[in-house]
Amino acid sequence: MTQDMLLTMVSGVPWTIALTAVALLIGVVLGIPLCAMRMSKLVVLRMVANTLILTLRAIPPIVWLFFIFFGLDTGFVSLNPFQAAAIGLGLITAANMAEIYRGAMSAIHSGQSEASMALGLSTYHRFFDVLGPQLFRVALPSAASYAIGLLKDSAIASTIGVHEIAFQASHVSQRTFRGLDVYAVAGLLYILLSLPIAWASRWADLHLRARVAR
Amino acid sequence: MSLNSSSIPQADVASRPPLLRLDAIGKTFGTHVVLEDIDLSLAAGEVVAIIGPSGSGKSTLLRCINQLEPPTTGRVTIGDTTIEAGHTPTRRELMALRRNIGMVFQSFNLFPHLTVLRNVSLAQERVMGRTREQADAVSMQLLARVGLADKAQQFPSRCSGGQQQRIAIARALALDPQIMLFDEPTSALDPELGLEVLAVMRELAEGGMTMIVVTHEMRFAENVSDRVIIMADGRIVEQGPSGTVMRNPQTERAQRFLHAVKDR
Ligand SMILES: Nc1ncnc2c1ncn2[C@@H]1O[C@H](COP(=O)(O)OP(=O)(O)OP(=O)(O)O)[C@@H](O)[C@H]1O
Ligand SMILES: [Mg+2]
Repeated sequence: MTQDMLLTMVSGVPWTIALTAVALLIGVVLGIPLCAMRMSKLVVLRMVANTLILTLRAIPPIVWLFFIFFGLDTGFVSLNPFQAAAIGLGLITAANMAEIYRGAMSAIHSGQSEASMALGLSTYHRFFDVLGPQLFRVALPSAASYAIGLLKDSAIASTIGVHEIAFQASHVSQRTFRGLDVYAVAGLLYILLSLPIAWASRWADLHLRARVAR
Repeated sequence: MSLNSSSIPQADVASRPPLLRLDAIGKTFGTHVVLEDIDLSLAAGEVVAIIGPSGSGKSTLLRCINQLEPPTTGRVTIGDTTIEAGHTPTRRELMALRRNIGMVFQSFNLFPHLTVLRNVSLAQERVMGRTREQADAVSMQLLARVGLADKAQQFPSRCSGGQQQRIAIARALALDPQIMLFDEPTSALDPELGLEVLAVMRELAEGGMTMIVVTHEMRFAENVSDRVIIMADGRIVEQGPSGTVMRNPQTERAQRFLHAVKDR
């Protein structure tokens, strides 16, 4: 393996990180309203959310990316590969985050909500001061393992031409007719990227988990 | 401190205008009738104990008062706020009601992610608009009053159950409520830890706080409260001055209940 090959592969790292980070951000944020809809008292909202979540999770990510990149592109919007991949993976992440939040919600004792209401806290403060921080703590481990999964899934963005690690690996291996070491290096890069996520999550879990009411 | 001192003489209490009024409160869950036609009025400074068998609707009644559970029928009036069953109260009405009513739960329900001090300060800032400094100063005073000033910077999980319940009392008091509701505040505690909570409640009662206390502590009902209400099957079966009701109940249902629990 030459230094040139290695550098090419490493040049995919920022793209992998950026794609994972943007998709995660979209998912973490959009997951909140989606979860709220899913748990709404209004049947219509619940049905819309259920349908969205089911659709987003049931169709394979690669089909979503093709649909968004090739499908939407023929019409009025024009997306570059990175945008298409970020949107696709972001929406799928939102559906999964909504389910993670919902699970976390049921782990928090109903007395927390009641105590907040009895104190006269508004819905906004009940969520952002009382339930939200506890949800964050409960959801963190599942969210972190989802993030590691997302990091790996971001490799499918290579199929629509995002220059991330898997894309560079296949590029290099086609150019040099070497497979074993090239893909081993790619694997190593993914491992290196996922380690900090796992460490951070374990650390946060240890330090925060005691402070949740179940 | 004499165990038999009632906080306020009965005649004095009766002559004051009611602070809280419940008119014909009823509550059904589906077809299950849990409360039926409850009337209750509470004068300022009065301490009322509610006792009765499990499932008789005591908790539901307290929760109907501050609308954690909206009553199916009837009316709750506190000060100049009236909330009528069937009309969804406005946010302003709910806030007015809840600001004036403090509630203490059996399971404490402290916020585990906040320090003891923040637990007591949070609603002061969010609901009363106090600054953090003002709120923290008030909280420190209240924590000192329940004997826990030294716990201010701890997290609730580091406190014993009795301490947590005293913090919960301080948290409710922080909004200067006119009325305090207690739902079996000592039931989750070892007897010894329950005593320290009861001591705080007795002090509150003696300080003139208006209180409704759902309890299994018969001695507290008899010795600290002015009035005792016995509930069974969603109704008030007997009520009156605590000494009379506890020692000389008139209705058969009340006699049966008191006989069953007399050894506690
Ligand atoms: N959310 C609810 N949904 C359906 N039924 C309920 C609900 N809350 C309470 N109940 C029913 O209402 C009845 C009265 O309950 P409540 O908790 O008020 O009794 P309680 O007098 O406080 O009993 P305990 O002494 O055991 O605390 C019970 O039969 C209970 O099953
Ligand atoms: Mg109860």
